[in-house]
Amino acid sequence: MFDAIVIGSGMSGGWAAKELTERGLKTLIIERGRHIEHRKDYLDQLDPWELPNFGMVDEKEAAKDYAIQSACYAFNTGSKQYWVKDSEHPYTYPADKPFMWIRGYHLGGRSIMWGRQSYRMSEMDFEANAKDGHGSDWPIRYKDMAPWYDHVENFAGISGARDGLPQLPDGEFFLPPMALSAGELAFKAKLEDSFPERRLVIGRCAHLTEARPHHKALGRMPCQYRSICERGCTFGAYFSSLSATLPAAKRTGNLTIVTDAIAHSIIYDPKTKRATGVRVIDANTKAGATYEAKMVFLCASAIPTAQILLNSASEATPNGLANRSGAVGRYLMDHISAINLGGVLPGLEDVYHEGRRPNGFYIPRYRNLGEEKGDFVRGFGFQGSVMRQNWSTQAGILPGVGADFKAKMRKPGPWMVGMAGFGEMLPRPENRMTLSKAKDQWGMPIVHIDCGLGPNEHKIIDQVMVDGKAMLKAAGCTNIYVGKHYGGVGLGIHEMGTAHMGKDPSKSVLNKYNQAHDVPNLFITDGAAMASGGCQNPSLSYMAMSARGAHYAAQFLKEGVI
Amino acid sequence: MNPEPHQGMDRRGLLQSLAALLGAAATTGLPSLSWAADAAPSFFSPAEYALLTETVDIMIPRTDTLGAVDAGVPAAMDGMMLSWASAERREEFRKVLAELDAAARAEGAGGFMALPRERRVAVLTAYDRKIFLNAPYGQFKKIVLTTYYLSEGGATQELRYKAVPGKWDGAVPVTPDTRAWAF
Repeated sequence: MFDAIVIGSGMSGGWAAKELTERGLKTLIIERGRHIEHRKDYLDQLDPWELPNFGMVDEKEAAKDYAIQSACYAFNTGSKQYWVKDSEHPYTYPADKPFMWIRGYHLGGRSIMWGRQSYRMSEMDFEANAKDGHGSDWPIRYKDMAPWYDHVENFAGISGARDGLPQLPDGEFFLPPMALSAGELAFKAKLEDSFPERRLVIGRCAHLTEARPHHKALGRMPCQYRSICERGCTFGAYFSSLSATLPAAKRTGNLTIVTDAIAHSIIYDPKTKRATGVRVIDANTKAGATYEAKMVFLCASAIPTAQILLNSASEATPNGLANRSGAVGRYLMDHISAINLGGVLPGLEDVYHEGRRPNGFYIPRYRNLGEEKGDFVRGFGFQGSVMRQNWSTQAGILPGVGADFKAKMRKPGPWMVGMAGFGEMLPRPENRMTLSKAKDQWGMPIVHIDCGLGPNEHKIIDQVMVDGKAMLKAAGCTNIYVGKHYGGVGLGIHEMGTAHMGKDPSKSVLNKYNQAHDVPNLFITDGAAMASGGCQNPSLSYMAMSARGAHYAAQFLKEGVI
Repeated sequence: MNPEPHQGMDRRGLLQSLAALLGAAATTGLPSLSWAADAAPSFFSPAEYALLTETVDIMIPRTDTLGAVDAGVPAAMDGMMLSWASAERREEFRKVLAELDAAARAEGAGGFMALPRERRVAVLTAYDRKIFLNAPYGQFKKIVLTTYYLSEGGATQELRYKAVPGKWDGAVPVTPDTRAWAF
């Protein structure tokens, strides 16, 4: 009998386990994937010419086993070991609503391959549902989250500048910001001159620009500017479960980890209205087992979290566990992403850059804040960089052969702006995932995802393209390109909302402590908990919610309330 | 130990000493990746391989620095036809070589390799000029450039590469000798 079981070891599960073990709770992590050893299993020591096929995954293998995963920007032969084989982990979606579900099943989950951009949600984001009526009103506000953002930023190590923007609150423990490139400073000056409400700032990212004592105590070292982060980092310079939260949990002596254990369902006692444990299936032998605990943290990531709840249906809970509201699996969100824009920024031929910065610029949301309105609710931001081109930028389209071409490629190319819009998706009940009758090889019902873009999302996509082009023009860019959106959902890799927080137990799944309305000793602190998504990368919010949820859960256990 | 890498310090040595310092075992095996330049081609026919070798040599010739052949591009591309390319991709690359040969025959030659060097250059230059309209060739050229500029020689002699830069600077003065970063 454990004090707590945490299902999942990624961004959220790692944090829940750290906070629970540090409060003295004997905690078991159940991870569906294989064990990964920090440093030892990473391929970050390979030079480009040592990587199989210079980093390019075999097209035959990609088509057969990674039909969805290969659409991810970080999919290469240095990171291939982390992505699931779609061929072994099927799910379905309607033909006209492609849902690109990017996944990693191993210890540490997607905290190994994540994009590391780390932004707070703001007061405006927590008020959004209440103000425009979409989704459920968040039962918390920014003030409830602020101390927990401080807490996780300090431990994780978030590099960033204090920009003083209300829509993007600053942190108290930021590590020194990375510098903007010369091209970015020029781009910033021109666009802020043309659009006073738009600001270009350096990205905030989970990299140690400076290792403080509590980072060093975990063996973490400063970022070496290699920018091959998706392979894993031997230096432990970016935050992941493997570099930070799991080692911190282990040193308490209170942590047990079981890998290759697929959570099948949560066991519920209708008499006490409590969860009593978790049924698992051994990923290799397919044998069943049961673990018992006084409380359960469900941190499997948004879609599997809802899958497990729905698969935990019992006589007492026929619609699935903690699903009195019927909201489990509904209100699925991602961020509108992959709308790429760019252009050549003339000038600045006398400066170049050195090192590979694993971070970019950010243009935080500006629509529907001040004077710049939109014919939609919510908003979007832009992320990108301005760097000089090299041989790879136009490798497949640039004409030229011979010594002259070679000499040209030898010199730094023109500065080029590359950026992408990230927009908010509204929480809508019809965007949902359900369980199919068909089961996978482990006996889990296959997930069916029916999630599409609505009118508000389409208006945001249009505005991203218009605004992006206008900013590139205002900066004097030439050769401007504006890409098209892929028309689906999922490539933001920010699945959220499938067991959301709300004030009303008849409409939402979790209360203000990330505690299930229906099951007092069940907590959900991954993306499933999000009542809305803002337009910022959400991982920092999952970290803060996990730490906050664990704090209250431990307190409730101590008080004998759960 | 200062994690800032020293100039010329072996990168793997650095990582291993850092890892050792941290009590971790640096035991990850390196894949054996030798594109044996003198071995017989495993995918292309001898005639195709000769044409491929000549094509990449014209594209990136040896100058005061190494050329594509010096960097092992033909062998790397031949190997990748098996280890990377899909069936469609293989046919596309074969088609590119066949088209170059056909373009030479259209000039009355017995084939690309039957032309004198300067006319081969002219045929490839004309073919290359239409890269926008020729996606298979675009992909072919991309692989030529990738296997050259990401080869050890291409990355470190022709261009520049640091395994562990150790710092980021967004505004470094350019000198006449400044070379582009390979990666």
